[in-house]
Amino acid sequence: MLIIENLTMIYPDGTVALRDVSFEVADGEFLGIIGLSGSGKSTLLRCINRLIEPTEGKIIWNGKDITKLNQQDLLATRREIGMIFQHFNLVKRSSVLTNVLSGRLGYTPSSWSLINRFSRADIERAHKALERMGIPEKASNRADELSGGQQQRVGIARALMQEPKIILADEPVASLDPVLAHSILGSLEKLNQEDGITVMCSLHFLDLVQRYSTRVIGLRDGRVVFQGTKDDVKKITDERFKEIYGEDAKRLGGE
Amino acid sequence: MNNKISNENRQSPLHTFLSLILPGLGQMLAKQWQRGLTILIGVGLMGSLSIWTIGQRARYPNFALSFKIFAISVLEMGALLIFLMSLNYLLNKYIIKDKTAQAFSGYGVGLLYFILIFLLSGPVLELAGTVAELKTVYLTTTIFSAGALAAFWIWQAFDAGKIGALKAGEAMPSLGFAVLVLCLLIFSLGYQITEIDLNKAISEYTDTQIILTRLTWPWRSAFAFEQDVLEVAQKIQAPCPAGSVGPDANLPMDGETWISLDNTCGELTTRDLQGKVTFGTEITIFGGGFTPGQKVEIWWRNPIGNPFKPRGVGETDIIMDERGEFETKLYIPEMTVIATAVGDQIHTILVREKSEERFTGALSDEMKLALKGMLETIMLGLMATFFGIILAFPLSFLAARNLMASIVQTLAKMVGGVIGLVVGVGLTGVTMTQIIKLFGGLDKAPIPILMIAILLLFGISWLFMSLGGRLFEYLSKLLGKNGDTILSVIGMTLIGVAPGYLLGLGFSRGIRGIPLKAELAAETEMTFAIGGAILFGILGFYYALRQGGSRNINVGMIAYTTTRTIMNIIRSIEPLIWGLVAVIWIGPGPFAGFIALTLHTVAALGKLYSESIESIDPGPIEALQATGANRLQTIVFAVVPQILPPFISFTIYRWDINVRMSTVIGLVGGGGIGFILIQWIRLFQYDNAGLAVWLIAITVATLDYISSNIRKRFV
Repeated sequence: MLIIENLTMIYPDGTVALRDVSFEVADGEFLGIIGLSGSGKSTLLRCINRLIEPTEGKIIWNGKDITKLNQQDLLATRREIGMIFQHFNLVKRSSVLTNVLSGRLGYTPSSWSLINRFSRADIERAHKALERMGIPEKASNRADELSGGQQQRVGIARALMQEPKIILADEPVASLDPVLAHSILGSLEKLNQEDGITVMCSLHFLDLVQRYSTRVIGLRDGRVVFQGTKDDVKKITDERFKEIYGEDAKRLGGE
Repeated sequence: MNNKISNENRQSPLHTFLSLILPGLGQMLAKQWQRGLTILIGVGLMGSLSIWTIGQRARYPNFALSFKIFAISVLEMGALLIFLMSLNYLLNKYIIKDKTAQAFSGYGVGLLYFILIFLLSGPVLELAGTVAELKTVYLTTTIFSAGALAAFWIWQAFDAGKIGALKAGEAMPSLGFAVLVLCLLIFSLGYQITEIDLNKAISEYTDTQIILTRLTWPWRSAFAFEQDVLEVAQKIQAPCPAGSVGPDANLPMDGETWISLDNTCGELTTRDLQGKVTFGTEITIFGGGFTPGQKVEIWWRNPIGNPFKPRGVGETDIIMDERGEFETKLYIPEMTVIATAVGDQIHTILVREKSEERFTGALSDEMKLALKGMLETIMLGLMATFFGIILAFPLSFLAARNLMASIVQTLAKMVGGVIGLVVGVGLTGVTMTQIIKLFGGLDKAPIPILMIAILLLFGISWLFMSLGGRLFEYLSKLLGKNGDTILSVIGMTLIGVAPGYLLGLGFSRGIRGIPLKAELAAETEMTFAIGGAILFGILGFYYALRQGGSRNINVGMIAYTTTRTIMNIIRSIEPLIWGLVAVIWIGPGPFAGFIALTLHTVAALGKLYSESIESIDPGPIEALQATGANRLQTIVFAVVPQILPPFISFTIYRWDINVRMSTVIGLVGGGGIGFILIQWIRLFQYDNAGLAVWLIAITVATLDYISSNIRKRFV
C-alpha cells in the first residue's frame, strides 16, 4: 500500500514540478500515469524512492514514511522498490550478467561488491531472471550489443533481482517501437499478475494505458487532474482529454 | 584613409577638437563611453610602449632626451599628416573629380607621407641634439611608432567628429582602421622587444657551423676507436750552463724507429714583460724507421714530466719521406723554469706516430653513459606515472562535481564527523609513536612504518569520522527538539578554538619581525594564541547558532572545492620548478625528478580523471541508487566501468608527457639524461651533447608511436 499525501516538489531553480499531489496505490495494482512531457511524471516516480528529495508531503509505504527515513533505512527500503527507465540506464560496457547482478547490490555487503563478487545463489538468481525475460543466452554479452527491447528486458531483470514489491516504470517504452512496447508492457503485466508486484508506469499513449493499466491518474503541470479506472479512460471525451493534456493536444489516431 | 576623409560629409568641429586635445574625449562627449575609453587607453598604451621601446632600443640613459625626440617626432609626423590629408581633401573636392583618380591621389599622398618622413626624420633628430650614431638607432623605431601614433590620433579625432555629427539611429562608423594601426604597432613593438634579428641568424651560421655539425651528427662519438701510438724519445738539456754537454744523442738504428738531435744542450725561448720573444737555441731533429708518408707529431716533455705540443717555435706535424725518415728544425720552446729546480734540467723530445683509428664495434663510454641516462629517464617517467595514478585515482572522485554535489549532511552530523576525524588523526599519531618505538626508530624500517601509517590514518580516521557523525546524530535525537543545534554549537565552538589557537600562535610568530625578549615573546605568543582561540570559537559558536543543527551542509562541495583548489595550485607550477624544490629537499638525482614529476602528474591526472567522471552517463548511477546500492557500490558498478577507457587513455597520454618531461627535469638536477646533457653542454662537449639530444629524440618519438597505438585500442 502506497499513500502519497500532499506531495510538493520545487527544484532549486524555482520550478514547481509537483503541487500538492495526493493519491493511493493499492497492492497489486497496475497504475498508469499519463501526462505531457514536463507534467511531473518522472519527478513523481523519483520522489517515491527519493532519487529526488521532495520538498513537502508524505510518502507512506507500508506504514513507513519514506521521506523521514535516514540513509540506512532508505537504502533498505529502496530494495523493495524496483525501477526501470526510458533509456534503460544499463552500464553499457559491462556484461548483461553484471548489469542484472547489480540489482542485487542492496543485499550485498560493500566489501564483497568492491571486489566484484556475488554469491552463487545471486548468480543463479540472475540467470533465472534473464531466462524469465526470454534472453538467457545474452548473459555474457556486453550490454550495448543488445537491441533496445532486449536492453529494457535486462533493465526489468535487474529490477527483479531486488525482489521488489513495487516497480516504478518511467516511460519504459518511450524509446521503443510499438511492437516492442507491447512486449515489454506484457512482461510487466505478467509480473503484476503472476508475482503480485504493484506497478506504477508512466506512459504517453492512451491506448497503452487502456490496454494494460488497472487504474489511471493524469498529471498536468504537477497537479493530479484525472483519477479513474481502466473503464473511465475508455470513456474519456475529447474535452476531458484536453483538460489532461492541455489545449494544444490532439489525439494521435490509433496510438 | 585619405579617401575616407574625402568622402566625409559631416563633421562636428567641437567633437573633433576635443578629441584632438585628449584622445577619446569627443567620443565620450557623444556618450560613446566604451569607444572613447578604449581609444584613450589605446593611445596611452601605444604612447608608453613607444617611449619605452625607444629608450630600450637606444639603451641611452637619458630618458628626457628620448622623450624629447619622441615628442618632436609625434608633432612633426602629426603636422605632416594633417597637412597632407587636408591637401588631398582639397584636391579631391575641387580639382580631381574622377573616382579612380581620387583613389590614386590618396595612395600618392600616402607614399609622399612616408618619403617626407624619411627625409625629415634626419633634421628632426638633429633638432633634438643627438649624435650621429644615435640617429640610426632611433630612426626606424621613431618613424614607425610615432607615425602610427600620429595617424591613430588624427583618425580618432575625425572619428569623434563623425560620431558627434551622427543623427539618431544612424550606424556607427567601424573601428577597422584603428584596429589595423594598433595591430601594426603592437607587431612592430613585439618584433623589437623579442629582439628578432634575421640577419644574425644567417651571418652567425658560418662561425658555428662546426659546432652545429657536431651537435647534429654526433654518431662518431657513440663508438669506441682503437689507435696504436709509436713513441720514440731523445733527451735534451736546457738551459745549458757553461761546460755542460747535455745527454748523449741517439745513434741511427737499422730496422728500428729512432730519433736524434744535432745538439743536446741549448737555451730556452724566453718572453719579456712586453711580450717580446727571444728565440732559444735552434735544434735539428731527425730520425728514421717510421712508416713512409705517415704524419708524426713532435711533443715536448718538461723536466717535471708534463708533455705538451710546442707552439710558435717551428713545425711539429711532420710527414715522413719515402724512406720513413725526416729532419726538421725547432727552437727550444719557452716554458716556466721552476724556481726551486736544482741541477741539470733534462727535457725529453717525443716523436709520436699514430696509426689510423680502428673501429672496434664497442660503444664509447659517453654512449654508455647516455644510454644509462636514457634508461633512468624512461624509468623515471614510468615511476612518476605509476605513483601519479595511484594518488590521482581516489582524488579524482573527490574532484568530480557530479558525484560530490549530492553529498549533504546536517550540520550536527558534520560537526560530529569533523570531531571524530580529529580524534581519529590524533589517535593515529599516538599509535604511530608507539609503533615507531616498537620498531626502534623511524629509520630502522621506514617503508613498513610508512605503510602502516597510511593504513592506520585512513582506517582510524574513517572509522572515527563515521562514528562521530553517527554519535552526534543519535545524541541529537536523544536530546530532543533543539538537540542538534545544542550539539552543533558546542561542536563548532570546539572546532573553532583549535585552529584559532594555532592561527594565533602562527600569527604572533609571523609578525614578530622585531626581536623581543624571551619572556616577552612567550607572553605575546600566548596572548595571540588565546585571542585567536576565543575569536574563532565565538565565530564557530555564532555560525552554528545562526544555521541551526538541522541545517544541511553540502559537505561534498566543500571536499570538491578544497581538492580542486589544491590540485589547481600544484598543476599551475611547472614540473621544472617542482624539480628545483625537490633538489633542495633531497638533493640532485633521479629521486628529485621523480618527486617533481609525481606531484605534477597527480594534479594533472586528477583533473583529467575527474573531468572524465563528470562527463559520464548519469543514468546507471540513478539506476543503481534506485536498487538500494550504497555510494561505494554505485561507484564501483556504475562509475568505474564507464571511466575505465578514458582513464587508460589519459594515463598513457600522461606517461608520454612524463617521459618527455623527465628528459628535461635533469636540467635542474632531477637525474636522467637531462642531467648528463646539461653537463656536456656546459663542458662544450657538443658531440656528446648531440648524442644525448639524438637519444632523447629517438626515445620520445618511439614512445609517442607506441602510446598512440595503445591508445587507439582503448578509445
